[in-house]
Amino acid sequence: MKTARLAAGLTALALVVTGCGGGDGDDSEGDGDATVKLTLSQDVDTLLPMDSNVGDNISVLDVVYDGLVRYDPKTTKPYNYVAEDISSTDNTVWTIKIKDGLTFQNDEPVDADAFVRAWNYAAYGPNAMANNYFFERFAGYDEMQGEYEEDDEGNVTVTTEPTAKELSGLKVVDPQTLEVTLNGPFAGFATMLGYTGFFPVAQECIDDVEACAVKPIGNGPFEIEEWDQGQSLSAAKWDDYSLEETPDYGRIEWVEYSGDSDWADFEAGDVDASFPPPAEWQAAVSDPDLSSRMVEGPGAALTYIGFPMYLGKPFDDIEFRKAISMAIDRDTIIEKVVPGRFVAADSWVVPDGVPGGVAGTCEFCTFDPAAAKAALAKAGGWPKDKKLIIHLGEDEESEAIFKAVGDSIQLNLGIPYELDPTPDYFDRRSARDFTGIMRANWFPDYPLNENYLAPVYASGDPKLGNTSFGYYNADFEALIKEGDSAPDLESAVTKYQEAEKVIASDMASAPVAFSRNVMFYSDRLDNVVLDPFSGEVKLRQLKVN
Amino acid sequence: MGRYITRRVLQGILTLFLVMFLLHLLTTLAIQLNGNPAQAFFGDRTPSPSQLAAVEARYGLDDPCYDQLGNPCIGPFVERLGDYAQGDFGESLRGREVTDIVSTAAPNTLRLFAVVTVTWLLIGMTLGGIAARRRGKASDHGIRGLSILIDALPVFVMLLVYKYIFSVPASRWAKETFGADSFPALLFKPSFSPQHAWVTVIIPGILLGLAGSAAFIRLVRAAQLETYNADHVRTARSKGLSERHVSRHHVVRNSAIPVVTAVGIVFTEALAGAVITEGMMNIYGMGGVLWKAVQDSDVSVVIGIVTLLAVVTVVVMIVVDVVYAALDPRIRYE
Repeated sequence: MKTARLAAGLTALALVVTGCGGGDGDDSEGDGDATVKLTLSQDVDTLLPMDSNVGDNISVLDVVYDGLVRYDPKTTKPYNYVAEDISSTDNTVWTIKIKDGLTFQNDEPVDADAFVRAWNYAAYGPNAMANNYFFERFAGYDEMQGEYEEDDEGNVTVTTEPTAKELSGLKVVDPQTLEVTLNGPFAGFATMLGYTGFFPVAQECIDDVEACAVKPIGNGPFEIEEWDQGQSLSAAKWDDYSLEETPDYGRIEWVEYSGDSDWADFEAGDVDASFPPPAEWQAAVSDPDLSSRMVEGPGAALTYIGFPMYLGKPFDDIEFRKAISMAIDRDTIIEKVVPGRFVAADSWVVPDGVPGGVAGTCEFCTFDPAAAKAALAKAGGWPKDKKLIIHLGEDEESEAIFKAVGDSIQLNLGIPYELDPTPDYFDRRSARDFTGIMRANWFPDYPLNENYLAPVYASGDPKLGNTSFGYYNADFEALIKEGDSAPDLESAVTKYQEAEKVIASDMASAPVAFSRNVMFYSDRLDNVVLDPFSGEVKLRQLKVN
Repeated sequence: MGRYITRRVLQGILTLFLVMFLLHLLTTLAIQLNGNPAQAFFGDRTPSPSQLAAVEARYGLDDPCYDQLGNPCIGPFVERLGDYAQGDFGESLRGREVTDIVSTAAPNTLRLFAVVTVTWLLIGMTLGGIAARRRGKASDHGIRGLSILIDALPVFVMLLVYKYIFSVPASRWAKETFGADSFPALLFKPSFSPQHAWVTVIIPGILLGLAGSAAFIRLVRAAQLETYNADHVRTARSKGLSERHVSRHHVVRNSAIPVVTAVGIVFTEALAGAVITEGMMNIYGMGGVLWKAVQDSDVSVVIGIVTLLAVVTVVVMIVVDVVYAALDPRIRYE
């Protein structure tokens, strides 16, 4: 074993010395030493699993860490990976059996403790981890957030430190068995466990979290070599990896780029997979050579219009919401403004992306100006000389899309509009500071139709409704609860589908567009599969020539 | 000369203090008007109040003065000055030391500026000098026309054209002909690479320098024209000195003063161009980092970098004044 590794090292060295190393990659055919060169956007600022929640660091950590479950790249269905078995009799108390003999890259064992320490760290409020909210369903979560007072202006002072430092719902039965107790039943619990926020971490990582955020100690097939933050990141294959899902190339190099600036490097052959800026889109798809190396797949994000139903008329009138939805010519807008990267939405759950997604649940998402006018008349029309405000964040792309949406509404319903791009969109939305319709977006955290519905529309508050829109429907909440406590995932998914139908018949919001993942790749790559969630290349499936 | 320099340094420190205080007042006002930048830490998520409080405490945003509109927040300012004096420039929202960020980004920007300044001086001195010497002739008109053309062409258009039309085929060709790590292949690389920090910054630097060179061409031309008509030049000529000697020793040196001053002023202006250049050529530099930090409401990074840029500007200005004084002794004996 040692000799073999030495030989491999010498071969690699010889290749570098003879000058092949920097070539176009033609040197490494089939010998497993090839390097894949990819792009990171400079948004990446941490590689701590508990704190990583953007597409880029998720895709890096996907080869550095192994989770309890992994997702099928095509169907997004979860299957056990580090977990031997995940089971529950009542969907509240879950028993997780962990495979024996697995270790981290520093030789610490991957056992029940490794998960407990990671999850406790993430759930502890004052640690302010980005993935904190994923642990809301765990028993003991609230005690870890602390107590506070909030005055009329929304200023917060912590009056009591959190009473607990550990989730009461986690119990180590033996080194390979972990028992998790949730606040209530949730049939989809096992589905969540492949998400980055649930990865285990080594004790060494908790001992020095700052170091671990820059150079993670993983349990996956690749080890981070070096990260010059803002510039480049490299990972090499971990020789002692014992599970089966590992690619046959040797290194990954990510270069950090701002915006779309990597496209020229892709064309020059310095990057293996990239995506053109909007201005270059047409040229790229009409180039036969380039377009033969393009992969597409459904994305998971939904862009939709939210209505401030808490304001009352006309927003709380279902006919008004139908009118707005039917007045929007989604196909034309997408084709003219953001070709290739979106498709018109006709449901509240992305149809091909996640279990439970069905196409066409939104009856009033079809462009129909005549019906839209009729619906508006039924709702009592729009006050003359008043402008419809469209609130949105400061983002060039969504401003372009929603200007076109506004034009569509103005043209077909005669309602003049005004865009209100605001930097503190989320603050204002949760403060119910909006006076018109709003651009909203949902990107799911785990592949289950429930994730598109409950976090967005459920509130449990019949008086005020949910925070963002003021929406409440008792039937919807009941169906979500029924789904959560369903005996198995399949019947849960069916219940959530029924909940989506309630959203549809209430026209609680107007779906506008689904994201679409597109990637161009170099002729060195093969078997390029995109992750439906992050839109990034699935690195474990990838082959390099 | 020593007293002159001391006086300029003291003035520089005062300026720096004023800049920092003004910056502090502006960011404080921005926080008071716009709300808490700690929110930016959580991106799209609504944090729990205790999480928000933890982040506020971590970045020193928990002082109640930030909630009172119009309060100048002198306390946090004094605290920050104390931290700066100890070399502690704070952390970014993600816990990276600002000094660490700056030490990675600053060398790249300085390299870029080095190439830019050389480009300015070379193009400005050469073309401006030629135009002055051949005043009214075709080459003079041509050079003046060229300077207007350069002025009219925004730097990002130049970069776009270079990047997508020229650089991709050129780097491909150079790669195939000379090899991937050869000088021409790296020179034409569409974007900056940290492994070859100097070679790859040459083209972006020249382009950025070219964009700012129009002002220099005209300035050098005007300054030299003035000197050509000056009494001492006429005297030198009448002594029978060669035209080459006259222009080298009497014209160029004497017309260098306004040019040196302009380098200082344009240097600070070039930062705006550097933000675009760094963004498009993917150079991890101060401009790009600042741009990103402003977008993310990363207060400590913004304040840290702007302070550092103010230091650089003040230092450049002092150097300019000293060179100025060295070139023209009249200036230091006021």
